[in-house]
Amino acid sequence: MQAVKIKPKQNIKSNQFIEAIKVNDIVALKHLYKINYPKVEVLVLKNNGTKEHAKDIFQDAFLALWKNVKQDKFVPQNESSINGYLYTIAKHKWMDYLRSKDYKKTVVSSALTDTAALDDDLNKTTDDNINDERLQNVMHAFKGLGAPCKDLLMKFYFEKKSMKDIAEELQLDAASTRNKKYRCMQKLRELALNLK
Amino acid sequence: MNRNTKITQELLEFVERCLNKTASNEELKKFEHKLKNDQEFKAQVADIKTLLFGIESQVLKEKLDDFHEELVDVPSSKTVPVKSIYFRKIAVAAILIIALGSFWFLSQNTNDKLYAKYFIPDPGLATTMSENTNFEFYDAMVNYKQKDYKTAINKWNELLKTKPENDTLNYFIGVAHLADKSENQSIQFLEKVTSTTKSVFKNEAYYYLALAYLKADNVELAKKNLTFSSVDNSKALLYELND
Repeated sequence: MQAVKIKPKQNIKSNQFIEAIKVNDIVALKHLYKINYPKVEVLVLKNNGTKEHAKDIFQDAFLALWKNVKQDKFVPQNESSINGYLYTIAKHKWMDYLRSKDYKKTVVSSALTDTAALDDDLNKTTDDNINDERLQNVMHAFKGLGAPCKDLLMKFYFEKKSMKDIAEELQLDAASTRNKKYRCMQKLRELALNLK
Repeated sequence: MNRNTKITQELLEFVERCLNKTASNEELKKFEHKLKNDQEFKAQVADIKTLLFGIESQVLKEKLDDFHEELVDVPSSKTVPVKSIYFRKIAVAAILIIALGSFWFLSQNTNDKLYAKYFIPDPGLATTMSENTNFEFYDAMVNYKQKDYKTAINKWNELLKTKPENDTLNYFIGVAHLADKSENQSIQFLEKVTSTTKSVFKNEAYYYLALAYLKADNVELAKKNLTFSSVDNSKALLYELND
């Protein structure tokens, strides 16, 4: 415990915040969203964009930030470095969009690819890293999963609730809950494979 | 993803335990070994990782719109003109009646409401797997983060036997009790932290102590403890309590 105590307080707080992002703490994520969105909206509105553009760009950047923090591709020093990073991604994405051919004629989200530097990071497809295309398939498959499976998997993997709590909520015993979860995962994998 | 490999329930649960660091040391060794030597296993692990990350990503993506709605949800009372003074008078009277009625109805459990609004469990300390001298402490931290507060408390209580004065332990046991809805038990642990002269958790401990008192309907002690804390929310809560 001694090791914990000698760390400067600011560090502990920052670590806690970063840890909270990693475990999908809704309060922390919402806080991050609320603090950073207004700046990005100003940027986009001042540069020929609409509020809808700002929302799409920001949400894309937000997901990219979250992914990079989760995978330790970006290791923030403190909360302000997170905010700065998020703004930079959003700015790059908006610049990319303005430069793109699709500007003025198509839906924003389809034109929003990651910036080159971030793309490099995301697309390194060593076996250890998560392949972006496969990830997109899983995300898409999850959208199409039935509500009971979606709900169960969300509680388990996003909210990180314990098996015990989920079993209680579903009024099932632990073994049936585990089995149900497994079957949902199989279904998800099947759907994702078929998207290939 | 490979259609030809089958991921069994046993395999899925084993890999999950290893990824979220709840596996035993023995299992972790086995995991590392297989990862190095078994190409099929390696591919299966990559598949599982992608599935898990995909679920989290999509859930978050779907939640972002909710975040956004809360953001733009600014009350626009100015844009709703009340047309006649007569109507306005009736409206005021109606609101007063509703307000008084709800005050009477709601005042009994204001403390609970404020508590629910302000209580967010401490996110805990980062748990890293390697070279941890405090394995037991961080092992319980994993339970704490999974909201399995009872297990975390039991494990930490064991450690507390040898280090009864340790502020980190007292702090997290206190917060875990509070999160586990046993505010009365949390008070003794948190008070131990606030009475420690030099503790990095002192500030937060005062805040959670105030919340514990609030939950126990002791508003005076809640207010007193809030004045000692400079946590962002303590001022806001104090303001609401004094209101």
